[in-house]
Amino acid sequence: MKQQTKLSQKQEHIAEQQTQSQAAKEFSNADELLRFDAAQTTVPPEVAQRLKQSAAQIPPPPRKWWGKMFGG
Amino acid sequence: MQAGWETAEFASLYAEHSRPIFYLALRFLGDPQKAEDATHDVFLKAFRRLDQFRGEASIRTWLYRIAINHCQNLCQSWHNRNIHAGSDDTVFEDAVARTDSPLRVLETKELGQRIQKTLDALSDEYRLLLLLVADEELSYEEIAALVGQSSDAVRGKLHRARKAFAARFEKTV
Repeated sequence: MKQQTKLSQKQEHIAEQQTQSQAAKEFSNADELLRFDAAQTTVPPEVAQRLKQSAAQIPPPPRKWWGKMFGG
Repeated sequence: MQAGWETAEFASLYAEHSRPIFYLALRFLGDPQKAEDATHDVFLKAFRRLDQFRGEASIRTWLYRIAINHCQNLCQSWHNRNIHAGSDDTVFEDAVARTDSPLRVLETKELGQRIQKTLDALSDEYRLLLLLVADEELSYEEIAALVGQSSDAVRGKLHRARKAFAARFEKTV
């Protein structure tokens, strides 16, 4: 029981440290700030799914006349 | 033969470039749903035109060109439907007190909202330049080509855009 309490205190401490290190940040300019922001941004997976579906509906381009003629 | 989604080529192109394109759309349009739609549309256009890519520019630059045109068209049609006062960047450029001081962020939780508020307050031109220069893969020359200006003009405008951003960002606390 005592060991469990100690463990949870330790976990809390680690979580607190992580929060603090995430909380205070300094950026030398807008570029750096925006790079950080961009790195935190993820593309929702739905976009790839939608794109796959949309791409599947696009017919292959027609063969060019010389392709039909010469089998190219 | 047209390169399809199922080909490794297009899938890896999406995997490599979708984040910067989505980020540009997100912060330029300021709406996550619109950014998702725009990213989908940009890559679908790229998919359709992949055989037209001539390799004169990098594929990233080519995708950015499609994305910028797409986002600007969306903004244009939005502006046409709404009365828009426009942004006066000079207000923020003149108001800046400590240009070279770092941007301090105490709480990263709401950072995205603060950045969005700041970018929304800038002109489309400054917003676009800042978003492009944030991509380390782009050179000043490539940015200049994308916005149709000289490298020197881009450098000068970026200097002013950074000042305007810093001044506005401080006010979002």
